[in-house]
Amino acid sequence: MPTILSWLNVKRSGGGWGTTPLKNAAAVDTDLLILLSETGFTIEARRLQFDLSILAKHIPFLLEGTWLTFKVCLISVIGSLVLGLLVAAARTSSSTFLNRLSAVYVDMFRNIPFIVQLFFFYFGLPEIGIYIDALSTGIIALSIAGGAFTSDVIRSGILAIEPGVIEAAQVSGLKRATIFRRIALPIALRTSVRPLGSVFINLILTSSVLSTITLNELTGSAKIVASQTFRPFEVYFVLLVAYAALTWSVSIVIGALHRHLNRNQAEGVA
Amino acid sequence: MRYGDFTPYDLVLLLQGLSVSLALFVSTTLIGLLVGTLWAVIRFYRLPVLAQLVAFIAELLKNSPVLVQLFLVFFGLPAFLKINVTPTEAAVITLSGNSAAFIYVIAVSAIESVGRDQLEAARVFGLNRWQILRRVIAPQAAAFAVGPLTGLLVNQLQVTSLISVIGVIDLTKVGNILNLRTLKPFVVWTIVGALYYLTAKLVAYAGARLETRLRAHTKWKGL
Repeated sequence: MPTILSWLNVKRSGGGWGTTPLKNAAAVDTDLLILLSETGFTIEARRLQFDLSILAKHIPFLLEGTWLTFKVCLISVIGSLVLGLLVAAARTSSSTFLNRLSAVYVDMFRNIPFIVQLFFFYFGLPEIGIYIDALSTGIIALSIAGGAFTSDVIRSGILAIEPGVIEAAQVSGLKRATIFRRIALPIALRTSVRPLGSVFINLILTSSVLSTITLNELTGSAKIVASQTFRPFEVYFVLLVAYAALTWSVSIVIGALHRHLNRNQAEGVA
Repeated sequence: MRYGDFTPYDLVLLLQGLSVSLALFVSTTLIGLLVGTLWAVIRFYRLPVLAQLVAFIAELLKNSPVLVQLFLVFFGLPAFLKINVTPTEAAVITLSGNSAAFIYVIAVSAIESVGRDQLEAARVFGLNRWQILRRVIAPQAAAFAVGPLTGLLVNQLQVTSLISVIGVIDLTKVGNILNLRTLKPFVVWTIVGALYYLTAKLVAYAGARLETRLRAHTKWKGL
């Protein structure tokens, strides 16, 4: 079904353009045609093509890009989770120095656009003698930026724990590290599954920015396909739907995980 | 390095970029507020097909990267509709749509935050649906929405940096230009980052101020 719409472009000699959407250009009223041609307009029917079949032979290439996006996102999610845990521990610790340091990190990376951070790393690292490829740079930048958001979520999860729980653990004679690892973290992670999920979904969406540093992930490879086929609308439309489907399925998984982890909780608490 | 040094003119260039970023941020925020609120009102009135359509569009816009939306509008639309779209127009369309989608979500939850008993009381009192929305819901919903809205706007300010990819000379693009000329990435990107940081802080501060003003009526004034 190559044609779903036909447009009629009416051009006035020497004048501007007017565009009239029509269901079928062939069914134009003949009176109108005569009227238009008598008043110095020329008629030109243009077909709007929306043809997804041209993408068929580019699917393997796009899948390669999807695979790269998947790899980058998976590593970055793990990286930002680890970083977020460490920073959340620092932010909730009693040490003033660690507190300040982690607060500055979170504040900076949350308030500076990711693309600026990315360029900072991509152009800056070679300057100080660190030569790594775009892929590693992208993963590092994404993990650091994601870590700031992740740590904030985990921190608020930790702060939401009832003080009584921590006090009970202290009275039981547990060490501070044990309290954090065995008591605080499981509770905090369980309640923050949903916000963590939205941080990770944001991370997946942000990974499209990596196409600006020559990384051919999903968006990067779609750019190449668009310039090869000269059909940017179809390509980017499919890309938009693909990303939406991807993040939507991730949010379903997160929702299921949230329900599974909080299955013993009273209604309204979790 | 004859042309590689920083010049005083670079400051002007940076400020120009910042003003372009800010102008786009402000205008798309205003359009987004208008459209997003309109969508929320459509949902409030439960208009049959329109409400579902709006929810679907908002979901699609929220769940796809802004960069891809930008490409769709800037490269896709002109090829599809055979029209001309300048980078600035594409940026305004995309960012407004994206803001609208997120503002829609905030507005919907703000409207729902007003207790049902109040609506029932207002209905018993004889107010019609529009009066309830205007006189009862709007003032309370606005106070509720300012907090999340500030967070969103800080985020949207950073999203404006993506328009540099399609060639709008905003702050990030200026950073790119300066970086390519001077080859001093650390200095350039630190300055650009600092400018974004300060602007974001300003937006957050303004939001906090507005929130205290709107919540003034619920504040404890002492006996």
